[in-house]
Amino acid sequence: MSDIAIKVEGISKKYILGHKHSSTISERFQSMFSRNNAEKEEFWALKDISLEVKKGEAVGIVGKNGAGKSTLLKVLSRITHPTHGRFELNGRVSSLLEVGTGFHPELTGRDNIFLNGTILGMSRNEIRSKFDEIVEFSGVSKFLDTPVKHYSSGMYVRLAFSVAAHLEPEILIIDEVLAVGDAEFQKKCLGKMDEVAKQGRTVLFVSHNMAAVGLLCQKGIMLNKGEVHLVGEIDDIVKEYSVFQSSVNFNNYINQEVLELSKVDGFALKHVKIDNLSNPDSLISSGDDVRFSFFYQADKKFLSPAFALIFRDQMGVEVFRLSTKPISGYEIDLFNGLGCVSLEIRKLPLVKGSYFVDFGFVRERMEWIIKSELLIQLEVQGKDVYGSGLILDRSRGFIWVDHNWEHSNESL
Amino acid sequence: MRTVVESDKKGINLGLNELIVYKDLFLILAYRDFKVRYAQTYLGFFWAFIQPAMTLLIFTLVFGKAAKVDTGEIPYPVFAVVGMSAWAYFSYVMSQSGTSIIGAQNMIKKIYFPRLVIPMSKVLVGLIDFVIVLVFLVVMMMIYEVPFSGKIVFLPAFLVMNVISALGVGLWLSALTVRYRDFQHIIPFAVQFGLYATPIAYPSSLVIKSLPEWLVTLYYLNPMAGVVEGYRWSILGIGELNIYSFISFFMVFLFFVSSLIYFRKVEQVMADIV
Repeated sequence: MSDIAIKVEGISKKYILGHKHSSTISERFQSMFSRNNAEKEEFWALKDISLEVKKGEAVGIVGKNGAGKSTLLKVLSRITHPTHGRFELNGRVSSLLEVGTGFHPELTGRDNIFLNGTILGMSRNEIRSKFDEIVEFSGVSKFLDTPVKHYSSGMYVRLAFSVAAHLEPEILIIDEVLAVGDAEFQKKCLGKMDEVAKQGRTVLFVSHNMAAVGLLCQKGIMLNKGEVHLVGEIDDIVKEYSVFQSSVNFNNYINQEVLELSKVDGFALKHVKIDNLSNPDSLISSGDDVRFSFFYQADKKFLSPAFALIFRDQMGVEVFRLSTKPISGYEIDLFNGLGCVSLEIRKLPLVKGSYFVDFGFVRERMEWIIKSELLIQLEVQGKDVYGSGLILDRSRGFIWVDHNWEHSNESL
Repeated sequence: MRTVVESDKKGINLGLNELIVYKDLFLILAYRDFKVRYAQTYLGFFWAFIQPAMTLLIFTLVFGKAAKVDTGEIPYPVFAVVGMSAWAYFSYVMSQSGTSIIGAQNMIKKIYFPRLVIPMSKVLVGLIDFVIVLVFLVVMMMIYEVPFSGKIVFLPAFLVMNVISALGVGLWLSALTVRYRDFQHIIPFAVQFGLYATPIAYPSSLVIKSLPEWLVTLYYLNPMAGVVEGYRWSILGIGELNIYSFISFFMVFLFFVSSLIYFRKVEQVMADIV
């Protein structure tokens, strides 16, 4: 019994969709008297999950967006309560769903180390004893007594990460969000996690990044639609996941939370659809024709607004930007009601990798009234676009270009 | 260390012993608020003093001089400042803890800790201003040469009641605001309304004398009515604790206990709906 670190028995988690919860009293009243339960949509993010993790194991949790990975982490880190089931954690737990939780911009670096460390579960004495190490690791010792609002974003992240890196839990629960940021930070983060895993601690790691999962973990758990799909050795899980992933559902690329927020007075983005026109049933690869359709609802007239899309790579670098107006000069007017604006990209010029797409709704005079960052996460598969046997990735540039070479012996 | 979470467990566990584990967090959150409160202000601490001083000035002019409220042998400014000290603390803690959960939503969605720590830490933050007001009170009593009553030994009981009434109302508001943002709008209103619906600027005998009995009972459902009377009774030795006062004391405990239970209930879904 004592070698079990995490024991989960039949955990389920239900969410009520829509805004029925944090609504105003008057809405609550209306729903109390209307017996129309159909408008309350239930969503089971986790369905009867059971699993066991032994002490000292590093377990990767994989699955598509919406498979329930993050919900499982939130339940196990006790941020949210399960609807059914029970679980047991044997040991001191730290969960890292982001770095710098609770950082206050007005406080100095020194104060924030104490604040953040305490929030993460360290005692003041523990922080005091590790204080010098934390400061040295972060490399911001010169600015220790400066409010962090004056820090650069790099300094901020470094300080936040070095606090997190000095946690000494027996069970560590980490979300992949930690693995975004600049490349150096990612490397540091993965290195630290590897170190933690090798010290015989129990690690639960959620990620899309199969390379990282494969490197850090010995075991894997694959979730699908809120259920445990497969448990096994990490290599088998990673293999299975890649096969599984090729049965696609592009809706998984849309960040529903961002979509929900993509609205302003009189305009709401309702749904985004991505179609692979070249190979409708497979994942999007370099060189495919791809259509993005944006379904909206307008409650008033918008004269010549613009839709804009910014394609970014994983580091947030803008790769290219497309818009109806002014870039393409395509004019649209929106009227009351539903509609759809679609964009077709012929021969997608992106090379293999993950990309993010920001959506923007721009009124006349170039005023962004909606800027939905990271609305779409686009996974582009590698493909031998030139037919040369070479699959293009980031090592050969951001994009590929449809082109021809010609060689002639005729002299000028 | 072993943690067990069960969804179907019956009964409510207030989990107050867990708060002890998180006492450092409680202290540091209070420290944060305290530091941030006067960050980049020119007058700093002085603000904690200006606000009650100005209110006292207005009260003295309006109620003391213009309306000539009868406060017996106690000079009006001393009479009013005692009530104000209790009320200032109450209103500060109530409004700060009432909005605290919404204010900490980013934290709540990212990490676990007993959520009670957040509104509770405001109790400590408020104490700093409270001490400043108490110093002000003592100075006023010295200026007007009003002696302390022997009943001052009972003051700690009323201080405790002041704390838990503020916390009780604050916890209710913070938990309710998670679900219904309407309560955000109620807080400033409650502060203003309460200032007049509590015997701060006038003696409670005025209320008992001039209002019908049912309305007096209603008046004493205000948990602060009894606390303010208790302050005056123990510090100045005026007034008496009657049956109405005890209704008010009972309300303090009712608010406090019920707020803990309700807060615990909402806590389970807090991260999902905040």
